Amino acid sequence: MKKLRRMLQHKLQRKLVRDLAASKGLFLAVTAVIFLGVAFFGASFLGYQNLRSSYDYTYETLRFADFTIRVVEAPGGTVEELESIPGVAAVTGRMNSDLSLTLPGAEEKRVLARVISLPADSRPAVNDVKVESGSYFQEGEGNVLLVEKNFAEHHGLKEGDTLYLTVDSQRTSFSVAGIVASPEYIWFAKSRQEILVSAETFGVVFVPQDIVTELLGKPFINEFCFLVEEGADRETIIAEAENILDPYVVVDVVPREDQPSNAALSMDLEGFGELAEVFPLLFLIVGALATYILLTRIVHNQRPQIGLMRAMGYSRRQVLVHYLSFALIIGIVGAVAGTIAGYLLSELITKLYTGMLGLPYTKIEMNFLQWLAIEEGLFLGILPCAIAGIIPAWAASRLSPSEAMRPPSPTTGRKPLLERIFPFLTRLSFLWKIPLRNIFRNRRRSLYTVIGIAFGISLILVSAAFIDAIESFMDTQFNKVQRYDAQINFSPNQPQPAALAIEVQNWDEVEKAEPILQIPVRLEHEDNSYSTLVVGLTLNSELYGLFSTSGDRVGVSDEGILLSEGLKKALDVDSGDTLTLLSPWGTQQLEVTGFIQQPLGSYGFVTLGQAQELVGGFPIINGLMLEVEPQYLDSIREKAYGIPGTASVELTGESNEKVEEMMGLIKGMSWIMLAFGAALALAIVFTTVTVNIMERRREIATMRTLGEGKRRITAMITIENLLLGMGGIIPGIPLGYALALLLFRLFQSDMMSYNLVIFPRSYLLTVGLIILIMVVSQIPGIRHINRLNLAQVTKEQGT
Amino acid sequence: MSGPTLGEAGDIVLKLEDVSRSYQMGQVEVRALTSVSLDITRGEFIVILGPSGSGKTTLLNLVGGIDSPTSGKITVDGIELSALNDKGLTEYRRNHIGFVFQFFNLIPTLTARENVEFAAELVEEPRDPLEVLEVVGLKERADHYPSELSGGEQQRVAIARALVKDPPILLCDEPTGELDFETGKHILSAMKMINEVNCKTVLLVTHNTAIGDIAHRVIRLRSGEITEDRRNTAPIDPQELRW
Repeated sequence: MKKLRRMLQHKLQRKLVRDLAASKGLFLAVTAVIFLGVAFFGASFLGYQNLRSSYDYTYETLRFADFTIRVVEAPGGTVEELESIPGVAAVTGRMNSDLSLTLPGAEEKRVLARVISLPADSRPAVNDVKVESGSYFQEGEGNVLLVEKNFAEHHGLKEGDTLYLTVDSQRTSFSVAGIVASPEYIWFAKSRQEILVSAETFGVVFVPQDIVTELLGKPFINEFCFLVEEGADRETIIAEAENILDPYVVVDVVPREDQPSNAALSMDLEGFGELAEVFPLLFLIVGALATYILLTRIVHNQRPQIGLMRAMGYSRRQVLVHYLSFALIIGIVGAVAGTIAGYLLSELITKLYTGMLGLPYTKIEMNFLQWLAIEEGLFLGILPCAIAGIIPAWAASRLSPSEAMRPPSPTTGRKPLLERIFPFLTRLSFLWKIPLRNIFRNRRRSLYTVIGIAFGISLILVSAAFIDAIESFMDTQFNKVQRYDAQINFSPNQPQPAALAIEVQNWDEVEKAEPILQIPVRLEHEDNSYSTLVVGLTLNSELYGLFSTSGDRVGVSDEGILLSEGLKKALDVDSGDTLTLLSPWGTQQLEVTGFIQQPLGSYGFVTLGQAQELVGGFPIINGLMLEVEPQYLDSIREKAYGIPGTASVELTGESNEKVEEMMGLIKGMSWIMLAFGAALALAIVFTTVTVNIMERRREIATMRTLGEGKRRITAMITIENLLLGMGGIIPGIPLGYALALLLFRLFQSDMMSYNLVIFPRSYLLTVGLIILIMVVSQIPGIRHINRLNLAQVTKEQGT
Repeated sequence: MSGPTLGEAGDIVLKLEDVSRSYQMGQVEVRALTSVSLDITRGEFIVILGPSGSGKTTLLNLVGGIDSPTSGKITVDGIELSALNDKGLTEYRRNHIGFVFQFFNLIPTLTARENVEFAAELVEEPRDPLEVLEVVGLKERADHYPSELSGGEQQRVAIARALVKDPPILLCDEPTGELDFETGKHILSAMKMINEVNCKTVLLVTHNTAIGDIAHRVIRLRSGEITEDRRNTAPIDPQELRW
């Protein structure tokens, strides 16, 4: 405190503090931009690192598999053989089967449950679970199971509840021993194709190995989870393991990065990381531009003071440091406050995010990278201000005392280029002519303002694009693709005859029923392969909408297979290429006949007949899509349970709601981004408008003295600002579009395909918001004008 | 050089009755004008003299409607200024007053002609801007921007701007303050000519006592009070001025 007081005793420092106080609104606005930029950077970058280390810590603690191999059926002894592969740290062999599960409650509710076996007497060496409540299996407990946390939370399941697993119409009761978190289901995904699945119709339970054996009637293993020693070559191990497992028909090899939950989390995390880079950059550029605008004006205004300081004997260096200090204070205050806010926000984001995901372990620690990020944030905040400040500060220090004390030469008047190109503009009334000329009066300032507005617009537009994309995604998925109201899924081990569709079609509640057969396959094309589902549909299916990449409605045909756009990339195929389909029951070769849009997952689409060929030519189906009379939507589930083998009944409306809930976070983030964009535009416009008004005080006072009304002067200022706004809108919209394309690239994968859609309403919202910002940000300036002391200001020397 | 007849009944364009103006400067009250009463007749050329802080600019501002008296009454052409609200004062300045400032106060982004046209747009029946520029001898420079004009030329544009609205009263605050001697004299000549040819009432504030010689009437102020109000029976031509 004493030091500060001593420092302030130095008159230049005192002047600095008082000058800052005199224009506090402007300084605050510019500092706010730097603050937001650094806070955004800190929050997203530190949040990214926190999440990354939380995931890593969870994976390490629960020994998340480095890769998994699925086979049709292998004997238990294979595990030892696989463990002997050099470089393998551990292997867990388990049974993984989707069965029908009945939930407790007055009203019967069935879901398709993934039943995964775990050792009864010990914890698994790979893919362990964290017991959140209750306990792991104890010896002699009998029919117990552990319920995965997401699923348990959705249905309010707790230890002691009774659930029923159905195999071949045989129902077996199980008692819930505990609720567990699994590293494989942090992001609740059913498969890579179904990463937005609702716990309403899908769940995961863990059952002791011996009980599963009993339930399924035979001992076998169909999934091997591997942990690899550090430094070992995973690819070599995979090749060797595939070789050993070849007799048992390898269905799929899933490396850790492709594991559905981990892949979804990574996609999400990368998006976060990208935001951490792009968005703060925009803020810091705008912060630098605003600092430059402000400081140039201060130096211009203080010319006589600079002259006086130099005449009194202050050195050039002192003048330079004095004016540079304005910029550095903006940078330091913005960066320090931004770093603190960013750090706190990152903790909040991490906790919110991990809490929402139900991540078993959250790790927030200050490691070297975190410190580096903090230093980087400080540097990123201060550097642009220093660069922006050095130019006007240098100019101030170069002024000779006599030159500085003379009134500045009058603003050069020149017919703007625009008027020379379009002479009719010279005939405009002064209401338009003066604002137009003012824009060209200080071209650099106008240009910087336009850049700032363009950045603000691009942020707003990107945010709006995210919101639109989600809506479009939901609309495509739930109104165009899933045109059915309900889907009955049959247990994988209890398919139904295709003729069932006709029977169900005759139900009073049902308007239309269409059969569906989904088969897990491996698609191969040249050196590329991809495990997914092939969906068999009736010709001209009405309840499952297929749309070509150009948006036309298409249907499956006997001529070949339709693939999603995601598969086109994954398999590097084109129309006319031949594709090999491998299923546990056989192999088929089909020609690729076209590509379709598919928001969720990446499937192949064939006719029902072709799909039945893949399962050995049996006329079976494993699902029914229903169009249901609205009044029967509540009762259709119960009726469908009457069909033996019904594993679950999915109501499109319910799934839609659940997915929308999950999308809520992205929407929330988008709205926050939108607010940041608006704040950015507001800060730069406020700075420019205020500086412009301050600079033209005498001019405006003269106009008023001549008899010009306040309203017309306000109109002139508004027109000038709106013209600047237009100038920002023109580059801002394509910039926003390009930025959206860049960010959307991250959300294009075989798991999910967001199309960049920007609805006209978003353009309107963006333009409307910018206009509102322009109008709001000029209010303080206009209030200042309305309170101008005409007598005093008209006598001021030209500025 | 012949001026209008002074003091004719019914021809008073401006009347100040017991006008005072004080300002609160922190805790101190500064009395800028104290009980000033004046009758000004249409067509008079009045020079108001006084040292800094004497209240001459305050007097001009009050008459121009850009400041309001603390007490007293100002009537211009029958309009009582204290009865006007902000909008009324704007209308008043638009139609009754032409201002000429020390620092010219031209809009730098507009040419000479546009500066004049800008003022012309404000009134219903303005004079022709080019014609007014011709009156001040600047028709040839009409399309130049202020930055391309000398100080004297800029002040002549300012006079043309005041004149184009055809107001009955011109208020000039140190119009030669920023100009050299010769240019200053030319400006004064222009004003004198406008006063005579267009029969405008001119109130010119200056600290330059020599300028008083060109006026019909000289009012001296000191510490906010009128110390002298004399008629000049033989005003001289501005070109004869020496200072």
